[in-house]
Amino acid sequence: MTTGARPGSEVIRRVSKATALLQMFAATLLLGLAIIFVLIINRYSTLQDGIRENALWSLYQLDREVRKLHEVVHIALVEGDETSDMWQSASQRYDILYSRMSILEEGKFDRKLGGDEDTGPVLAQIHAAILSLEPIFDEINKNGRTSIEALRGVDIALDPLMQETESILVYANTAVSADRAEARNALLTLQFKSGALVLLLVASVGGLIFLLRRQLRSVRAAGLTFEHMARDLNRSYLAAEAGNRAKSRFMATMGHEIRTPLNAILGTVELMQLDKSPTKIDAGLGTISRSGAALLEILNQVLDFAKSEDGKMTIDIKPTNVSEVVHAVIEMMRDRAVENRNRLSLELPGAARLPVISCDPTRLKQVLLNLVSNAVKFTADGTVEVKVSERLQLGGSRLRFEVTDTGIGIDPEGIEKLYRPFSQVDASIGREYGGTGLGLAISKDIVERLGGTVGVTSRKGEGSTFWFELPAVAVEAHQIATAGAEERPLPSLRVLLVEDNRVNQQVAVGLLTHLGQVVDVANDGREAVCAAGARDYDVILMDMQMPGMDGIEAAEHIRALEGPRSKVPIIALTANASEEDRARCLAAGMNGFQSKPVSMQKLRELIFSLDLPDTLPVVQVVKEASAPPVESEENQKCDFDLRREEMVAALGEDGFADLVESFFVDAASITRELYHNVESPDRTSTDRLLHTLKGAAASIGLCKLADTCQQRRNVILTRDAVNELETLIDDCRRRIAA
Amino acid sequence: MTIMRLKMLAACAVAIVTLHHPASALEMPKGEVILTVTGPNLEHPNSKNVAVFDLEMLEKLAGRTGTMETPWTSGKVTFTGPLLRAVLEAAGAHGKSMKVRALNDYAADVPMEDAMTLDTMLATRMNGNTMSVRNKGPLFLIYPFDSTPSLFNEKYFSRSVWQIKQIEVSE
Repeated sequence: MTTGARPGSEVIRRVSKATALLQMFAATLLLGLAIIFVLIINRYSTLQDGIRENALWSLYQLDREVRKLHEVVHIALVEGDETSDMWQSASQRYDILYSRMSILEEGKFDRKLGGDEDTGPVLAQIHAAILSLEPIFDEINKNGRTSIEALRGVDIALDPLMQETESILVYANTAVSADRAEARNALLTLQFKSGALVLLLVASVGGLIFLLRRQLRSVRAAGLTFEHMARDLNRSYLAAEAGNRAKSRFMATMGHEIRTPLNAILGTVELMQLDKSPTKIDAGLGTISRSGAALLEILNQVLDFAKSEDGKMTIDIKPTNVSEVVHAVIEMMRDRAVENRNRLSLELPGAARLPVISCDPTRLKQVLLNLVSNAVKFTADGTVEVKVSERLQLGGSRLRFEVTDTGIGIDPEGIEKLYRPFSQVDASIGREYGGTGLGLAISKDIVERLGGTVGVTSRKGEGSTFWFELPAVAVEAHQIATAGAEERPLPSLRVLLVEDNRVNQQVAVGLLTHLGQVVDVANDGREAVCAAGARDYDVILMDMQMPGMDGIEAAEHIRALEGPRSKVPIIALTANASEEDRARCLAAGMNGFQSKPVSMQKLRELIFSLDLPDTLPVVQVVKEASAPPVESEENQKCDFDLRREEMVAALGEDGFADLVESFFVDAASITRELYHNVESPDRTSTDRLLHTLKGAAASIGLCKLADTCQQRRNVILTRDAVNELETLIDDCRRRIAA
Repeated sequence: MTIMRLKMLAACAVAIVTLHHPASALEMPKGEVILTVTGPNLEHPNSKNVAVFDLEMLEKLAGRTGTMETPWTSGKVTFTGPLLRAVLEAAGAHGKSMKVRALNDYAADVPMEDAMTLDTMLATRMNGNTMSVRNKGPLFLIYPFDSTPSLFNEKYFSRSVWQIKQIEVSE
């Protein structure tokens, strides 16, 4: 759940960051837009343009009025017109020109008119020229006329004035036009920039909307996840609490369960001490024996359950005769049934339809026994019927086992509790009938491990039917045949075992000796070459990795010997041979491989597989009741108990104990060296140590330890890793001691 | 507000006086004629179908005084003169627009609303003094830039004719 929540919050954080960035970006854009807006406003608000236009117009008017005055004066001079109308008209023209001049003087405009030249001095010149004419026109105003000479002077003075006003007008027009064009361009640029900013702003707002949507979605998802988590937590809390309650109840039940038979034993012993007559003693012994058996049964159940909880329950698949198992159970329960005045009946299909199936007979018996004993326990004066039938289903046939009783029955609520560990239908049941409340839970686990299903139908007060179904995989004929074929006598060979690890040596020597072989041991490649040169061997079992001279090199040396001793078959002992290793072995002249750790079965097959002359002596007696005829590779590899059984068969209890002891001594020294290697790393040495430890652990069946060592070989060694290894070794030691 | 209202009342009063005395035709100018108002069907012509005014006649009409800045003067300037609509009413001129003509024959078209809805005046005095031709006189069409700043733009600048000599009202 936590992993579900983490990406959600991660997304929210990321999106928030992006949102904040976008917000900053948008704010910057807005600021830019505001600045541009202010610039545009400024452009418009100054009215500079309008005033310039006005100035241009005023200049034009000035020019025009100069010309008009000139025209009036000139015509008057040419035509000799000296009428008062002419004087008045000339005076008015001058007045207008004068007003035009003062407008320009007073007008608020840039004298450069947006261009480079200052028109100020020229304007001042024009002004001065116009003012210089003032006395003449003042005289006209005063006297109604003036002299023709004065008028001629005006005419002459106006000529350069006209040129000046014209040139200033042309300059002003050019300057204003250029300025207008520039201003238009500047405005256009500003508008373009603001347009771009607006576009960016729109884009960022779009981005914000998108991010916001994502954020909302993530928040919603995270909320849902948290809700789920809360619900799950609540559920697991309730489950844990229920589990605790169940365990407490179990402790109480167990106390009661154990106390009853113990009381019986103690009471009986007391009685027997008081009255030592043989009849009393016989009866007492019977009671003690039964009580002891009951205690043992309880403890077995608890141990079984603990195993199944740990997932360590062993299932030993072998050909199972269902009919035999069922009959055995019925026989075992017959007495109990009679005690409760129950009739016990059995309904089996014909023997032909009840094949020998691939199953675990012990576990099957355990389950069936549990169901039948429950039925007998909860039924009085009734019938318990065991029925086995074969059901054909898609994907193969299944065997259905039904145990039907006419006992107290279970209500629907009780049915729900069935098959759960530490639970009985209700507390009163426990008090009345006893029992650990584990039986059905164990049974369910077993049936499921065997690939089957369990179920129950029941009605309160009328009885119950407990059933389970198992896949009925018929055992093929040849499997049974091979199991028998291996009983043929083994030839007795002279074997050279080349192995540097002491534990592995002990194991292999023990097993080979048990198989009637004659074994010499070489501790490394060099010794092996010497031994092979000195004596005749039927086969050499060669470990691959050894200090000094390794297996490959030793094989090459042996093949290089002179005489027939160089032809001896060499079998490589290797934990997990890669194709490359195999190629190297064959190139060195080896004849085959044997995977480690070796087992009785493997060695036996190995000896049979050698192409040997018939003249060899034959081992007469090989006791091997313990070796299971059908054994999956998995089990063979990974079961300490099986390995132990095999070892004990080969070496005896004491021999095995010695072996285990020397393993732990070796393991302790290897651990010490590993600690040393953590301080001053040495990959080669570390790898060799781990390899050795792994090999030894595998040899005595400590598979988990072996696997751990193998994993550690691929990674850098740390102090923690060595600690963990040490803890694991201690665990193994405790388990074996227990 | 009060001033505005007073002005309106004054305008109404003038209108009422004019309406109640239709017989009182426009008097003849005594001094130099400085403004001629022409138009179709003038109600009060005083000279050959036109109305002519001298300074005295104009200054007798309802008017206003405003202090303002203009693009053609430096600093704040106080203009005084009759309201344009008072002049038009005195002449009994009606129409939709008028052509305001200056001494140099510059003319601007002024819509009648400018006279009726705005306190547009024909300024006769600047800072209390009559205006000579040299100083944009004798008459200057002044929009109320002081009371209505939104008029301060080229559209009204171009209608602000100075050195006015004639107003031609047309239908």
